[in-house]
Amino acid sequence: MILDPLKPAFNPVDLAVPLFVVTIVAEIVLGRLRKARVVYEVKDTATSLLMGIGSQIAGLLTLGLVGAVTFWAYEHRLFTLPMNAWWAWVAVFFLEDLTYYWFHRLSHERRFWWASHVNHHTSQHYNLATALRQTWTGGIAGTWLLWIPLIFLGFPPAMVAIQKGVSLVYQYWIHTEAIRKMPRWFEAVFNTPSHHRVHHARNPRYLDSNYAGILIIWDRMFGTYIPELDEEPCRYGVVHNLGDFNIFRVAFHEWMAIGKDLAGSRSIREVGGYLFGPPGWSPDGSRDTSATLKAKWRAREATTVSPSAAAETVPLQAAE
Amino acid sequence: MNETLIKLAVSAGFVVFMIVVAGLARIARPVAPLDESTARALLAAEFPDRTPDLMWIAGDGAGAVGRAGAEALVVYRLGDSWVARTMPWTLALRAPVKRGRVLLKLRDPAAPMARLVVSGVNPWPPQQSEEALAA
Repeated sequence: MILDPLKPAFNPVDLAVPLFVVTIVAEIVLGRLRKARVVYEVKDTATSLLMGIGSQIAGLLTLGLVGAVTFWAYEHRLFTLPMNAWWAWVAVFFLEDLTYYWFHRLSHERRFWWASHVNHHTSQHYNLATALRQTWTGGIAGTWLLWIPLIFLGFPPAMVAIQKGVSLVYQYWIHTEAIRKMPRWFEAVFNTPSHHRVHHARNPRYLDSNYAGILIIWDRMFGTYIPELDEEPCRYGVVHNLGDFNIFRVAFHEWMAIGKDLAGSRSIREVGGYLFGPPGWSPDGSRDTSATLKAKWRAREATTVSPSAAAETVPLQAAE
Repeated sequence: MNETLIKLAVSAGFVVFMIVVAGLARIARPVAPLDESTARALLAAEFPDRTPDLMWIAGDGAGAVGRAGAEALVVYRLGDSWVARTMPWTLALRAPVKRGRVLLKLRDPAAPMARLVVSGVNPWPPQQSEEALAA
């Protein structure tokens, strides 16, 4: 079979749309029947799903630029890797997943890219609809450039696009509280609902962790793996949760905050810090970054008898 | 182009369907109105390094303001969840009350304003007890 190296034979995300609908409804029914831990708030759900639609539309706006750069890179490739060789698919599976890990880590640890990615974390819920709360500004943030080295290396653009789609679809099912733990061998190798719940948590203990796409091995290798602890339930959302459900605020609030900070900047250092420092960076250190939040949490842990007591009393939803 | 529009239209239809199902299911978290102890617990979780010496609870229990030093610790309900921010206490005291709500400007693009219900029992600005004033 001859596969077109430039045009993907199929889009895994398009094929998965019916799966998204069926599984979201199934998750809601399970929650309604109290067969699993599932929470859906209707405005939050609407926000997540509308962000998903908006992401599709926004992607179309930068499709031309992304395509042009990608095809240019492929024209200047070092090797020509065959699309019909099994080993090439194995290679692209691992290399794409490694690329995703670093894309995702960059998207959390540097504010410019966090501004694009933050919307995915703005729900205070964790369910399958949350998975569809996707960025509108990824094309502008330019993180797609991180995949260009694979094209330079010689992986056909269609191959990389399909693997990116497979990764996105894989990451859909892990956005749930309905599944507690997978078998131990699976938890050791693959990203799972448990690992990804930690990633979406705003508890200081869990911040900036578990960046994996499909394989959790990258977090274990690069020191960013944190396991989910029964004694510290995940509290979802961002450190400073959004004040309403306006989808434009969800999409653009961090960009607006960057603009506000840049307008008040007094030096190149401040401009650089506000743009490319960690989220929460400020010239005088008056704001909290993940690192300072973790340091304060560790200090409290060292002096508190029951370290997670505060976290467990949080949401006033204990009766659920 | 046509294919793209059809895909988007189908996706939009699915979105409406899923929102309706989520609404009918009524499986949001139950959230009780705040009282002083639950408001303090909430603020303790959001601001673990600060302890409010004065608490004000919104008339409908959907928000609270605590005074911790020179800061106002503000929390308000959003859906079945909560949003928390700080602002200078002096600015909070000067916040206007319009149509039965105190409008607290939070100066944050992510959460620009908290609108908390003021009642006759809980007027704004808060009536400070003698102990609180002494503190």
